[in-house]
Amino acid sequence: MEVTDIRPILAPAISFACTGLVFLMGRSTFWRRFWSLGAATAKLVVVMSMLPGTLKGTVYVFKLLDFTPGIGLGFRADALGMFFAVVSSTLWLITTIYAIGYMKPEHAKVRFFGFFALCVSTTIGIAFAENLLTLFLFYETLTICTYPLVIHEETPEAMKAGRKYLTYTLIGGAFVLLGSIVTYQMAGTLTLSKPGILSLSSGVGPLTWLFIALVAGFGVKAAIMPLHGWLPSAMVAPTPVSALLHAVAVVKAGAFGLLRVIYNVYGVELLKNLPVINWLAYLAAFTILAGSFIAIYQDNFKRRLAYSTVSQLSYIILGAALLTPYGATAAIAHIANQAFAKITMFFVAGSIQRTTGKTQIHELAGIGYRMPFTMAAYTVAALSFIGVPLFAGFVTKWYLSLGALQSGQWWFVLVMVASSLLNAAYWLPIIYLAWFKAPPGTRLELHEASPTLLLPTLLCAVYVILLGLTTQVPGLPFSLAQAAVKFVFGM
Amino acid sequence: MIVHLWQNIDYVASVVLFCIGLYCVITKNNLIKKFIGLNIMETSVFAFIVALGVVDGGDAPIMGAGARAPFTNPIPQALILTGIVVAVSTTALALSLVIRIYQHCGTIEADELREME
Amino acid sequence: MTPSSLLVGIIVVPLAGAVLTPVIGGKAGKHAWTWATTVMVATSVIAAALVNQVARTGPFSAYLGGWERPYGIELRFDEFSASVAVICLLGLLAIVFSQKYAAKELPPARLGTYYTLLLLNLTGMLGFVVTGDLFNLFVFMEILSLSGYALVAISGERTAEMAAFKYLVMGAVSSLLVLFAIGLLYALTGSLNMADISDRLTGSAEVPAMLALALLTTGFMVKAALFPLHVWLPDAHAIAPSPVSAILSGLVVKTGLLGMIRVYQIYYGAKVLDLSSLNTVLVWLGAISIVMGAFFAIFQEDIKMMLAYSTISNIGYIVMGLGLASQYGIIGATVHIFNHALIKATLFLGAGALIYQTGYRNLSDLRGVGRSMPFTTAAISVGAISIVGMPPTAGFLCKWYIALGAVQAGHPVFGVALVFGALFIFVYYIRMVNSFYFQAPIHPEILEVKEAPLTMLAPVLILAALCLAMGLLGRIPLSFIEPAVTRLLGTLGG
Repeated sequence: MEVTDIRPILAPAISFACTGLVFLMGRSTFWRRFWSLGAATAKLVVVMSMLPGTLKGTVYVFKLLDFTPGIGLGFRADALGMFFAVVSSTLWLITTIYAIGYMKPEHAKVRFFGFFALCVSTTIGIAFAENLLTLFLFYETLTICTYPLVIHEETPEAMKAGRKYLTYTLIGGAFVLLGSIVTYQMAGTLTLSKPGILSLSSGVGPLTWLFIALVAGFGVKAAIMPLHGWLPSAMVAPTPVSALLHAVAVVKAGAFGLLRVIYNVYGVELLKNLPVINWLAYLAAFTILAGSFIAIYQDNFKRRLAYSTVSQLSYIILGAALLTPYGATAAIAHIANQAFAKITMFFVAGSIQRTTGKTQIHELAGIGYRMPFTMAAYTVAALSFIGVPLFAGFVTKWYLSLGALQSGQWWFVLVMVASSLLNAAYWLPIIYLAWFKAPPGTRLELHEASPTLLLPTLLCAVYVILLGLTTQVPGLPFSLAQAAVKFVFGM
Repeated sequence: MIVHLWQNIDYVASVVLFCIGLYCVITKNNLIKKFIGLNIMETSVFAFIVALGVVDGGDAPIMGAGARAPFTNPIPQALILTGIVVAVSTTALALSLVIRIYQHCGTIEADELREME
Repeated sequence: MTPSSLLVGIIVVPLAGAVLTPVIGGKAGKHAWTWATTVMVATSVIAAALVNQVARTGPFSAYLGGWERPYGIELRFDEFSASVAVICLLGLLAIVFSQKYAAKELPPARLGTYYTLLLLNLTGMLGFVVTGDLFNLFVFMEILSLSGYALVAISGERTAEMAAFKYLVMGAVSSLLVLFAIGLLYALTGSLNMADISDRLTGSAEVPAMLALALLTTGFMVKAALFPLHVWLPDAHAIAPSPVSAILSGLVVKTGLLGMIRVYQIYYGAKVLDLSSLNTVLVWLGAISIVMGAFFAIFQEDIKMMLAYSTISNIGYIVMGLGLASQYGIIGATVHIFNHALIKATLFLGAGALIYQTGYRNLSDLRGVGRSMPFTTAAISVGAISIVGMPPTAGFLCKWYIALGAVQAGHPVFGVALVFGALFIFVYYIRMVNSFYFQAPIHPEILEVKEAPLTMLAPVLILAALCLAMGLLGRIPLSFIEPAVTRLLGTLGG
């Protein structure tokens, strides 16, 4: 059931207005914080208010204007979009609190918070995009407005990372644009409201090339290997930005775009006829393993996190590429599972850096005694990544394995197992270092991070546990994922 | 072929003139010579268009006593009158620019001017 | 007012304004600015009435002296002529912008001349787009070219005069090519009225018709500065005073393209030649233009030089769209003529404001200016995003349409060239944005500079707002031009 409602556009509009207000009044610390937090809260409320309806199967739509004749700038809050929106607006609020604490000693805070809000606005726009053109619009805007955040430090290293980031993502954007153009020519529409708009009559060859173009386009932001190069370099950004880039906005925008391509542009039935989808699955499996291998050798905390992100994102891709309901459930649910766990880790990395100045992993010996709460949060996230039952990551791995069996490709289960082992290999040493390896001779005092840093970290850790425990509770993200899967598979 | 060209000698002449002019514009180093080339081109085009209106044995298209058909076509002549006005103003502007360049640089040779930049 | 008198008015009013400027402007052109602004406001009103008329009733004509086609001179206003709106808008804004700028940058004795020439230039363009007579087209082209050469040289500096001379020689040669072609067409058809020529050209000898087409295309492409005929453009556009650069880059080069559209109208209608080989050449040259323009721009330090080279890229877009000869391609190209004018004017006027306030024109010298002139640099950034074709700005829709046109015409390769060419353009605009905002200033005093005065800031901001609005409301120009393109291609299909 479709209902015209202003809320799908209100949500991005709130963040957008927040950007304007921050730029206008942001020189005053109070107003900057007031508008950032106020808008984050307001948006969360707006998004959450749509949740009951979405769970009942209502789809909220709002058509703003005709962008070009025939293709409108439209917004549509369906289950998949809502899932992404709920995750990103929850995390925006938490990250804003964290950022306020983290950015205290930094320069150019107006610019930072302004563009921060703009990024989230565009992310919601991507989530609620009614058609591929609207999605592309927000996708490109996201690229542009993350740039000032990546180069926030304005050091030569940051500028270089910024250039690399733009090069990768803009080339990706160009592929998305080309893909959209060809899609429009083939299908005569770009809407994302159907389970698939292309048909086999366009020919397997053109459809395959189009798929490759779209996957390459969205795959850059989703950091599928070999398109992941920008992500570790972008680590020079301040930690809240890294968190935003790696957990919420940018990488998930890419993954979400891929889900839209697979489920709403091509459709599951059509893709079953295209062998290229299997290659996407193989590529995702490769990325999962290769990303983890590289992560093991990183000593810089944030770089290890970056490569872990590369690996984790491909869970989403793999789940979607399996084309089975369980796989899809895993893919969608992992958007939230990975986001909360990864953002916890980034918050931890940032808190440690702000509190003790340490950025390398080998320096972390005994940190658990100095910052016990922070490291407890880290432990929760790490266990989730390894896939220990009762934590969020387990849910993904379970459903992903079920999905692999459902599609008859059992070897992907082995990939899951291998990935768990690799995750253990690079997360557990930190736990060991932190809790069990106090450097001899130094006195360790309790020196916890400041409350604005600690609180969001703990909150995210709690979410990770909640997501792992409450898969059967209606109203939580998991039920939303299942609603989306039902639509996609026509169940 | 030759006969055909000979019959249209006026057109051939204007095309040849046009090419000579273009050659001057491209190859001459002196700005004034360049511009003389441009004037040759202009003249060739004017000649071409005026020649279009000529009618063998035609009279000047002026009505009045003693006027008798056939007349030459007056429209090309009127056009070229306008064209000449345009050409004169272009020449005036170009020459004044050349004078200014000479005052500033002391030379109007294109290669020397390029070296000064 | 009847449509006919409006059509005459849009030429006569600015022409009379130009002629009267030295008289009314007074000694040293004191009142010239006020007078020129008034004239342009009046002209803009007429332009608005004309566009409104064509939107309601479709194309219409006026016959001078009551002589009907083909004997008299016809003024014809179709959807393509609606570019009078953007000519008037940019002309008005550039003149408003000139108040402080010209007073500072030009010798006082030349102020009156400056406004006279600006008005003449605009008259030439307005006449060029509304005339239905081929020879009139030539005359108006000469009016706008001659005033253009003089405007480039107006500052009286050595480099300006040399750039003007280069521009003049190229321009005069191209005009002669066009005139030659007009003569040929007259010889073939015995008419100078474009619609009439199109009718009578059917079935005439192919070789002269082809020669005329080649001459017209070359001539107009020199005016449009399509690669490799662009050599005159960078110097002339970069050295001219900024409001003049805005007009030259935004409008004057476009007359070459509008002229090309007229040529298409004649030849598509006549069906005397198969234009597909010409179109292939144009599409390739367009693609090369996009890449070469962007390539040269990367090496420029001077902000205006960079903008000048990016004009060449954008002309490449438009020529490519025209050459694709598909519905979407031509619509996109035509609307880009309009949108690029807005975008480029934003950039040139913005750059002019920066130069006026800081005295620097190199990107490295301008570092940090984003902090002291936030509004101007924000407007320039909007322009930059727009010219690269990022959504939701004016540039995006055209890119979308032209690329769609490439797919529609069965040449998706050019769509790829277009989309990736645009990325290339991004490379140098990001350098500009970086130096405004993200790099430490070389000259610390740049942080003390004040924001530009209102007469300069307002035009820049209005144009930047239009760049955004034309992206969001892009359907208005797109659907406006659609019937004309359908007619044009309809004559092609039979």
